[in-house]
Amino acid sequence: MKTIQQTKQSASPHKAKSRRRLEKLLPYMMLFPALLFIVVFKIYPIISVSVGSFFRDGVFTFRTYEILFGDQVFWNSLWTTLKMNIVMIPLQVVISLILALLVNNMVRGIGVFRSIFYLPVTMAISVASVTWNLMMNVNNGVFNSLLSVVGIESQGFFTSASQALWCIVIMATWKGCGYWMMYLLAGLKGVDVSLYESATLDGAGYFTVLRKITLPLIRRAMLFVIVANTTANMLLFAPSKMITEGGPQNSTNVLMYEVYKSAFRNGNMSRAGAITTILLVIIIITVIVQFKMMNDQDD
Amino acid sequence: MSRKTKQKLLRALLYLTLVIIAIIALFPLVYIILASFRTDEEIFRHALPFTIHTIVPVDWTFENYQIIFTQFSFWRPMVNTLLVVCILVPVNLLVASLAGYAFAFFEFKFKGVLFAIFIISFMVPTDSIALPLYSLISDMGLVNRFAALILPSVSSGLAMFLFTQFFRGIPKSFLEAARVDGANWGQIFYKIILPLSVPVFITAGLMIFVTEWNNYLWPLLVTRSESVRTIQVALAYFKDENETFWSYIYAAASISALVPVALFLPLQKYFVQGVTSSGVKG
Repeated sequence: MKTIQQTKQSASPHKAKSRRRLEKLLPYMMLFPALLFIVVFKIYPIISVSVGSFFRDGVFTFRTYEILFGDQVFWNSLWTTLKMNIVMIPLQVVISLILALLVNNMVRGIGVFRSIFYLPVTMAISVASVTWNLMMNVNNGVFNSLLSVVGIESQGFFTSASQALWCIVIMATWKGCGYWMMYLLAGLKGVDVSLYESATLDGAGYFTVLRKITLPLIRRAMLFVIVANTTANMLLFAPSKMITEGGPQNSTNVLMYEVYKSAFRNGNMSRAGAITTILLVIIIITVIVQFKMMNDQDD
Repeated sequence: MSRKTKQKLLRALLYLTLVIIAIIALFPLVYIILASFRTDEEIFRHALPFTIHTIVPVDWTFENYQIIFTQFSFWRPMVNTLLVVCILVPVNLLVASLAGYAFAFFEFKFKGVLFAIFIISFMVPTDSIALPLYSLISDMGLVNRFAALILPSVSSGLAMFLFTQFFRGIPKSFLEAARVDGANWGQIFYKIILPLSVPVFITAGLMIFVTEWNNYLWPLLVTRSESVRTIQVALAYFKDENETFWSYIYAAASISALVPVALFLPLQKYFVQGVTSSGVKG
C-alpha cells in the first residue's frame, strides 16, 4: 500500500513536468507549418535572388549591375514605374478616403453602395485588363462611342504612347480603391462618434473636423493603406503584359514587365534577378520608412 | 434656407454622388456581361454612333458560352483553378489560424522576432519574388504541376495577420476559466476560439479564395500545358494567328468575374465584420 502511494506521488510531478515541457513547445509546434512555408517560399527566394545578383559563374562581381545601369531601357523602365506610382498612389489614397467617408454615412441603403464600390476589387486584374482593353478599343470600344456623344473625336487610349500609361492608372484606380476603402472604413468605424458631435457643437466645419480630428485618429489605417498600396502598385504587371506588351514605344514598360521579358523571353536570368533585387529594395525601404513615420507619430 | 431643407438637400446630394460612383464601379462589369450575349459582328455594328444598343444586345445569344466550353474547353481551367483553391483554402486557414493562436495567447522565446518575420513576409508581395520563386520551383522539378500552384501559397501572411488581430481581442479570462476546468489547448481552440471566430474564418477564406482565383502572374509562369492552366491564364488564349475572338473573351471574362462576386455578395456582412475587427483601425 505504501509503495503504491509513493509511486503515485512521484509519478504525478514527473507527469506534470513533462506536460509543462510540452506546453512550452506547443507554440513552436503551432507556428512550425506557417514558418516552414514562409522560410522556404518567401525568405529563401528573397535572399537567393539578392545574393545571386552579385555573382556571375560563381565569382562575386558587380558586373550585372554595371551592365544594367549602363542600359537606357532599364532607366526608362524605372522612370515609367516611378512616374506611374507617383500619380497613382496619392490618387488612390485620396479617392479611397472619399469613398470611405461617403459610405461611413449611416443612411438607408448604404450597405448596398458599400458592396457595389467593393465589387471591382473582386475582379481579377487579368479580367479587368481584357475588359478595359476591349472598352478602350480605338475603333469600336464603348468609351470612344461615349466620347462621340459629347463630340470628342476617337482617342488612341492604349495604342497612344502619351495615353497608355494613364489608361493603366485609371483602370488600376477603378479596380483598387474599393479595397483600400474597406480598411479606411474600418478605421473610421473605430472613431468615437461623440468626438464629432462635441466638435460640431463647438462650431467646427466639416473640413476642420476632418483635418483636426478624423485624419489624425485614422492615421494607422492610412499608413497601412499607403504602405500596402505602394508595395502592390510597384508590381503592377498584368496590363503591360496583356494589353500593351510594354508599348507603345516602351511607354508602359514597367520594371516588373522588364523582369518578365528579361527572364522568360530573352533568357537573361542575371539581369532579371538584378531588377528583382532593385524592386525588393524599393519595396522594403518603403515599408521601413513608413513604419518609422508611424512610430514617430506615436511618440 | 431652413436647417431642415439644408439637411434634405445634403442628403439628396449624398445619394446623387453615391449613385454616380456606383455606375462607374458597375459599368465595366455590366458591359462585359451584356456583351457576352452578343456576336462580334453585332458589337461592332452598333459601336458608332452611340445608342442604347451600343451596350444592350439586340439579339440575345448563348452561343459564346457554348463555344468557349465546347471548342475551347473552358471548363478545364475552371476545374483546375477550383481544385487548387479547394486545397488551398482549408490548408491555409488551418496553418494561419494555428499561427495566430500561438501569437495571440502564448508567451514564448523569440516571439517578437518571429512575429516580425511574419509581418515582413506579409508586406512583401509574392509577385515581387516571382522570379527567384520560379527558379526554386524549377529546381524542385515542379514546373507545370499542381504542386507549383499550391505550395508557395500555403502560408498566407494576410490570413495570419487577420487571425492574430482577431484572437487578441478575445478576453483571456475565457481561456483561463476553461484551463481551470481542465480543458487542454486543443479543446480550447476547438470549443471556444473556433465558434467565436466564424466571421474571421469566412473573411480569411474569402480573401484566400479570391486571391487564388484571380492569381495571374504566378500561374502564367509555372503552367505550360492546358492540363494545369488556371482560369486567368486561359483568358489570354481566345485568339488565333489572325483574329481575337472578342465575344468569347467577354463570355470567359464574365464567368471569371462573376464567381468571386457570387461568393462575396452573400458573405459580405461577415467580410466587413472581419476586416473591422482585424484591428487596422484608429
